[in-house]
Amino acid sequence: MTALENFKKRAKELLAGGHVDVVIGYRLGTTAELRRTVFVRSAEAADQLVLDGHCRENLAGYLTRPEVWDGEGVVAIFVQPAGIRTINILAAEGQIDPQRITLLAFELAGSEAIKELPGSSVDDFAGLIENLKSQPAETDLAAEIEKLESLSPQQRFEFWQEQFSKCIRCYACRQACPMCYCRRCIVEQNQPQWICASAHDLGNFEWNIVRAFHLAGRCIECGNCERACPVNIPLMLLNRRLAREALEAFDHFAGIRPDQPPALASFKQDDPQHFIL
Amino acid sequence: MSEFEPKIIAFVCNYCTYAGADLAGTSRLKYPSNIRIVRLPCTGRISPLFLLKAIQQGADGILVSGCHPGDCHFTSGNLHARRRWTMFRSLLDFVGVPKERVWFSWVSAAEGRKFADLITEMTENIRQLGPFEQARQLIAEAQLS
Amino acid sequence: MAKILRKDRLNEMISRLASRNTAVFGPSPEADGAISQFRLMQTSDEIDLERVLTRLSVKSLFFPRTEPMMRFDIAKQSIDMQQILPDEQKRVVFGCRPCDAASLAMLDGLFNWDYADAFWNRRRENTTIVSIACTRKDDFCMCTSLDLAPDSSFGSDVLLKAASDGAGWQVEAISDKGRRFVESLGDLLVEQNPPELAATTVVEKKFDVAKVCEWAAQDENFESDLWSQMSERCLGCGVCTYMCPTCHCFDIQDEGNAYRGVRRKNWDSCSFSLFTLHTSGHNPRPTQASRWRQRIMHKFNYYPSKFQHRSCTGCGRCTRYCPVDMGVAETLQAIGR
Repeated sequence: MTALENFKKRAKELLAGGHVDVVIGYRLGTTAELRRTVFVRSAEAADQLVLDGHCRENLAGYLTRPEVWDGEGVVAIFVQPAGIRTINILAAEGQIDPQRITLLAFELAGSEAIKELPGSSVDDFAGLIENLKSQPAETDLAAEIEKLESLSPQQRFEFWQEQFSKCIRCYACRQACPMCYCRRCIVEQNQPQWICASAHDLGNFEWNIVRAFHLAGRCIECGNCERACPVNIPLMLLNRRLAREALEAFDHFAGIRPDQPPALASFKQDDPQHFIL
Repeated sequence: MSEFEPKIIAFVCNYCTYAGADLAGTSRLKYPSNIRIVRLPCTGRISPLFLLKAIQQGADGILVSGCHPGDCHFTSGNLHARRRWTMFRSLLDFVGVPKERVWFSWVSAAEGRKFADLITEMTENIRQLGPFEQARQLIAEAQLS
Repeated sequence: MAKILRKDRLNEMISRLASRNTAVFGPSPEADGAISQFRLMQTSDEIDLERVLTRLSVKSLFFPRTEPMMRFDIAKQSIDMQQILPDEQKRVVFGCRPCDAASLAMLDGLFNWDYADAFWNRRRENTTIVSIACTRKDDFCMCTSLDLAPDSSFGSDVLLKAASDGAGWQVEAISDKGRRFVESLGDLLVEQNPPELAATTVVEKKFDVAKVCEWAAQDENFESDLWSQMSERCLGCGVCTYMCPTCHCFDIQDEGNAYRGVRRKNWDSCSFSLFTLHTSGHNPRPTQASRWRQRIMHKFNYYPSKFQHRSCTGCGRCTRYCPVDMGVAETLQAIGR
């Protein structure tokens, strides 16, 4: 049986047996490369599920939607390792109950093949996530960051000003991010208005910096934000840079366990302070 | 041609740095008046949004200062702040806000001299750096200047 | 006899217009991180004539994503307010697509409904729309489903159709403004026998829009389950509304402080959860389903009943750029296949 066939079998069993109310997965989209999120609520409907190299979207953000939870129900969801880390973070931040989530975990092996990861609850994947922490970061991104860091601050400012000038403040980055679940985002606060809501360069600068900061130590680099951005702002550069800082400064790897203390809601006595006069 | 007078905003905690600044004052220690002090109960209250607001309002330099670790009036506010500063500092630097424009310090209530010296040094440094032109351009474009 | 604009005379056209204080805006290429949109063109090789459709629509030239409306200065005894209106720069949009041109005509009614919007009108009056009929399409184009076409002239002042030899375009004046423009080009245009034209692309209909409008107009369908089904994966971002050439909602924001500032008009989106939040805390559209319903109803029921146009030109941007592969097509197909 292929991984997909096995997953479909599992999904059907979960639904038919009444173990879960809904399976959140992928189905075909408008073009050959696009995939759509699908909410499967019956065993028959599970036939439309697909799983392949185009299934990149981190679906775990849908777990913070009240519509997904039917009373005391349980939800099954297709997740990659980033999605597992997402569930850990959302659990650590008190947003979801991991006991009510059945994981259909997979990994993209190469560009096309799907590898099923054994397990069905977050605890089953503790070892896998621990291993991820010690893996080196993605090289292309690291190289681009190194290049930017070798520039002067003025040049970096120019680079980011150009990138942020494209921003149309659609907030697709925020809406696509599983960790952006605030009912009222800081940019929507107007008493006082901290961040300019307008899509001029200043406002865009403020917005993108604030969002990056609010994800500091929480971002699990699923890439939803950058993929969602309609104007191709390289958001992953910001996220990677901050994730690297969290790891280097605090040995913090976001989403490692469902009871992990959040990076910026905890501290150690020996946290770095070399820059403090 | 008048010399450039930097605009420096300081976000300080009430119990340590603000008291230290007070001490500098009562001791008649001189320091440049370019500094505008914003008093918070604790550095733990200082949100990075304050720093962004300062930049938005045309600050050339920003100082954030509080109690030494272990001395926080609220026990651990400065320890939370310390983490926040690490992350925000690296973010600001990465997007091109020069590290030299954003300073962080521990200044206790007894360190009046340290406060005066710090402000003097910072003002001179920022004066050498010049106005934060890139930010001022953004502000002008938004027609907020 | 037909009038031809040769590609190799585009540069001359741009400089001639510049000498008459007329700026030329054209589709810019998507390269080096920049996204395709309408930009000021100094030379003809800056114009991207290959791409099917710009990412940002032509609406940005008339209804920018943010614009200042006035400046205010509040002193003890007086309040000084200065209106900021767009300049009256003469412009030509060269290389607009029929779907985008149609959107401008559709929005004229709205911006002159119970109030003549000077921001829109000033720019419209001073701009000539020169469209180029489409010889290519992509999987997301659906103009024909909206009773438009890849070579529709609706909303254009001038319509260009590519000659099959690739040397230039046949020029057709559509409106009075277009006729004046064509005349002003004088000898820049070559008069010759009508050339063989490149084939207009074929866009298959994806749905029956008349069926959609009829269904939307029926009261009982307001409570249909379709709305929550179709919008289940909607993120509630503003991509579809901002990329859409006919979406026009805006927010007014004052920026500055209690003494000095600027009042701005910014794009807003009915997809946002707080779009209809009242000061009382009540939100009449509390679910994404109710917001999605509003979007479709507005475009295919409410707007047509006021302005005789469906607020959609089938450009497909909503689907093309939707982060979760939504956009109106899926819903419209579900209603009116």
